[in-house]
Amino acid sequence: MTLTSSSETDAAVPGREAGAPRRGPATLRLVAGKAVGAVLVLLGAATAAFFAQASLPGDRATVILNIRAGQAIARTPEELAPINAEYRLHDPLIVQYLTYLKGLVVGDLGLSYQQHRPVIAIIADQLGATIVLTLTALAFAWIIMVVWVTLTAGRGPVVNALGGFFDTTAAGLPHYWLGIILLLVFALTLGWFPVIGGTGAVGIILPALTLAIPLAGFLGQATRTEFERSLDSPFVLSARMRGMSDVGIRLRHVLRHAVLPAVTLSGWALGATISGAVVVEAVFARPGIGQVLVTAVSSQDMPVVIGIVMLVAAFYVLANLLVDIAYVLIDPRLRRAS
Amino acid sequence: MTATAAPPAARPTAPARLRRQPWDLYAALAATAVFALAALWPDLLATQGAFTMDLANTLQPPSAAHWFGTDEAGRDLYSRVIHGTAASLGIGIGAAAVSLTLAAVLGALAALGNRATSASVGWLLEVAFAFPALLLSLLLIAVLGPSILTLILAVGIGTAPGYARMVRGQILGAKDSPYVEAAIALGHSRGRILRQHILPNSLRPLVAVFALSIGQSIVWASSLSFLGLGIAPPAPEWGALLDAGRPYITVAGWLTVIPGVVIVLLALTTTTLGRHLQSFLEKGEK
Amino acid sequence: MTPRPHSIAAIVAATAALLALSGCAATGAEPAPAGELVEGGTITYAHQQEPACVFGGWIEQAYLSYNVLDSLVSLDADHEVVPWLAESWSVSDDGLQWTFELKPDVKFTDGSDLTAEVVAYNFDHWVNQGGNSTAFAWLGGYYESATAVDDLTVQVDLSSPYPRLADNLTQGYFGIQSQQALETRSDEENCASPIGSGAFVVDHWDRGQEIVLTRNDEYTSPPANAEHTGPAYVDEIVWKFVADATTRVAALKSGEVDAIYDVPAVQWDATGDAGFELLKYVTPGRPQQLTFNTAQGVFTDEKVRQAFAYAIDREEIVESIGRGVIPYEGNGGVSQTTPGYSQKAADWYSQDVDKAAELLDEAGWTGEDSDGTRTKDGEPLQVTLPYFAGSIINADGASILQGVQEQAAKSGFKVDLIPVPQAEAFAGAYSQPDERDIYPGYWTAVTSGILHINWGAGAGGEPNNWNASFTDYPELQAIILAANSEPDVDAQNALYEQAQEYIAEHALAIGVYDRLSTLAVSPGLQGVWQENAQGGPTFYDAHFVQ
Repeated sequence: MTLTSSSETDAAVPGREAGAPRRGPATLRLVAGKAVGAVLVLLGAATAAFFAQASLPGDRATVILNIRAGQAIARTPEELAPINAEYRLHDPLIVQYLTYLKGLVVGDLGLSYQQHRPVIAIIADQLGATIVLTLTALAFAWIIMVVWVTLTAGRGPVVNALGGFFDTTAAGLPHYWLGIILLLVFALTLGWFPVIGGTGAVGIILPALTLAIPLAGFLGQATRTEFERSLDSPFVLSARMRGMSDVGIRLRHVLRHAVLPAVTLSGWALGATISGAVVVEAVFARPGIGQVLVTAVSSQDMPVVIGIVMLVAAFYVLANLLVDIAYVLIDPRLRRAS
Repeated sequence: MTATAAPPAARPTAPARLRRQPWDLYAALAATAVFALAALWPDLLATQGAFTMDLANTLQPPSAAHWFGTDEAGRDLYSRVIHGTAASLGIGIGAAAVSLTLAAVLGALAALGNRATSASVGWLLEVAFAFPALLLSLLLIAVLGPSILTLILAVGIGTAPGYARMVRGQILGAKDSPYVEAAIALGHSRGRILRQHILPNSLRPLVAVFALSIGQSIVWASSLSFLGLGIAPPAPEWGALLDAGRPYITVAGWLTVIPGVVIVLLALTTTTLGRHLQSFLEKGEK
Repeated sequence: MTPRPHSIAAIVAATAALLALSGCAATGAEPAPAGELVEGGTITYAHQQEPACVFGGWIEQAYLSYNVLDSLVSLDADHEVVPWLAESWSVSDDGLQWTFELKPDVKFTDGSDLTAEVVAYNFDHWVNQGGNSTAFAWLGGYYESATAVDDLTVQVDLSSPYPRLADNLTQGYFGIQSQQALETRSDEENCASPIGSGAFVVDHWDRGQEIVLTRNDEYTSPPANAEHTGPAYVDEIVWKFVADATTRVAALKSGEVDAIYDVPAVQWDATGDAGFELLKYVTPGRPQQLTFNTAQGVFTDEKVRQAFAYAIDREEIVESIGRGVIPYEGNGGVSQTTPGYSQKAADWYSQDVDKAAELLDEAGWTGEDSDGTRTKDGEPLQVTLPYFAGSIINADGASILQGVQEQAAKSGFKVDLIPVPQAEAFAGAYSQPDERDIYPGYWTAVTSGILHINWGAGAGGEPNNWNASFTDYPELQAIILAANSEPDVDAQNALYEQAQEYIAEHALAIGVYDRLSTLAVSPGLQGVWQENAQGGPTFYDAHFVQ
């Protein structure tokens, strides 16, 4: 998903209206409203996934049978009958949809066509790896960004331009390409890291960096502008007059103000990392939700695809809730307001 | 994908920056000229056809004869990159156009429509945000089959919600602005206010965003090619080139590195142009 | 070979001969440096594709299940059928009744016994309960019933003679599972960890990452062509799925894995030079070939098909892109390692662009458009060639097809090369006569009986969906049917050769290259061999050395 403009910070804060007031008495209504909104969003995502899958070309029973057989041929109705019966693929679409929604409500995402396992179990198996990857990448991205921006922002036009140039370049690096290059240099050539990452602590460094570097550039762009503006602000001047060191000022005062947009973006990035994870998991042969998703889409394993959509949507809703909280924690003014 | 998405617009704050020579702009303009030339008259720059094979000279490293080396079938990579420019740029521009058109319509509906319209478009955008964009593209490609047009639609639709939200924000901002209040006070008609004040002011930034999103769209599209869902090889579209070079990365790294560098260069070029355009437009507003 | 009764003596002799020849089991293996055998340890093996279940009709499943399930019979390095779970077998004079005598005291890993009844149940499961579609493809049309004569004697009745039945039963699709497990466990359990009597047991499966197999300590039933008896040497196999070939090779070189599957042609020599043992299995059965759609479109005209065959130098393309590792295959029917292979059919066409031009002129394709594509009545000579990228055709194969496309263009064919993603392929995309003109693809088989699957008539009036030409050739089908039921090996091979020559003469299909199954194994690991029915990695004899 593309984020467009930081001059529009709220554009990046899904779920928050521009300048939405936060008032104590209304909190309960606000929470209820958010909950209803979240449910509606989940319902929309489930519906979209269901009908998108239903509109895929080809006969689903044929796909299921062909994958089980490793063949790509047309099938006779006799061959397909048991599969159509097992998964009730001949029910009217609307009946399938309602059955599916009913399952969702009671937390039953159905059985995978290919693995004969509950979708919940398949997702649960892979979720951990992806979450660890995402969080590690986010942490790396913040470290890289904070160090880089603190070092280069407001250091005169040349250094600053250089810093900005690297932000832009990093933000524009395609994940798959960066991943391949990192793999080529650090694993294949230098041998510092294992080629097959696995789920170990060392194995996660390259995949996480692959996600983190573009994200760092992206966060850096958002932070740098704010950072420079804050450096000129009166409270920095007063801190300097109090004899505070430059690094101290940068870290204690300036950064705190400058990172707000980046926090916003992080929430969005957490939810959207799934797309990057698909690629990174493919490049580094890492297990995870991304791999499952690509396999499920390519094998038209509809229950799994919809299950993952629900998961990502839920993740997204949750991530934005967390951002709202982080906002309040970082910005004391908001804390007072709430 | 994700974080490679359009960079936040830099607001030229430090006056020093404005006085400085915009060397990055010059470089971007020069690069644009080269890319445009390659897209419009590839034969002028290419040394060979895009598909010409030379089975006696496979996997040759870059040399005077083959500037970017050759691939597994002895095709000249430099010529293929040149011949692929039109497809890659076409996808970028096409996807950006689809995306922004959709965004303008949805954003305007969400900001200006009646309560029901606004709420349902807002809900649609929320759902689109919550829906993994990559999956949306995967499904579209599965339904329509891989082609340039499919890629344009897949990328354009996938990136539209973000821009739509931006447009809505812009319009809402413009609605609350002093000059609109003044116009209302002057008794101007709703249509006139919309035409004269709100739409021009809120849609103008889209011009710059358009440039920004071209590069991002190309990166997106090449990611899909990388997953084997883009344009069919042996077409020389850049993402497809990169993907085709991957099996040879340890023996012929140039097949992967060079197309990647070209993609990044183009993304950097359009981003730089977009940012300058943006600051130029903002200056114009003041 | 003719099916013949196996006496115990014959088995002993065969086993002894095999043990003497044990080095042969590892096809193409370098003589192993002397090293001391180490019991135990974990083999980490990097495979390419991950199937949905361990047992099924796909070659990827056969590879896995071969290490977990035992079959009735096994194929040795000389392409002879040797005992496995069946100690001996015989066939009645009319060729309709097969009798298998089972090894006594074999237990499945769930504790149940291997009995004739269980084996009969497995036959029924494959053919009549959708248990294995590939087993069905082989047995359907011949199989009537399977019954237990006594505790250890199974009788299989056929509707017409099929003297090569035992050969086909050596493929992994015919692994015998515990009836108790099939009947009482859930589909999920039988999918992820089928219960056999094999050398290894599925311990667990981390989807998307690896399957872990552990040693069956009670193992008593190795195939006669194995190098030792008793349980396997190693404790555990970590069977990883690593789709990217470069990653697999690098992981092998860095020591992260002990063996890998499918070494790309471009890395073949370097991997061998680095001291790794290379194993190469040229898959018998249908080679990677191009079958023309002769029911619809431009290739209904035999001259146009022949022109296409003359237009391209298949050997040059395969040799240069395959870097001498991938063998060129001219035969469109079966590959060079298949019994009953016809060299004559393979040599039928070599590049002759003048002849191609002549044939196209004769066929009326005399015009030419601005791209150099030939035209007839204003219609361009345009053909669709979809291929299943990443699954049936790998990266080397895709490049080879691009070479075909490029060379065909010089003779005026415009070939639309369409990589079809797996989903579409399995959804049946490009499976209809109006959707494609050329079908590329392979099918592993132990015998030329594959010709029946690929060219035979459909059962019960249905079209044969595995016939990629979409056309019934009664003359060809009669030859193949006669061959299938011919008990004399030489006469049978002569008939199969005749069938391939028919295919070549009428240019129904042309060969391109032979599908390979390759392994690279680190020097510290020895005794890995490729089973001879499909080339899958077999770890029963594998052991580390010091």
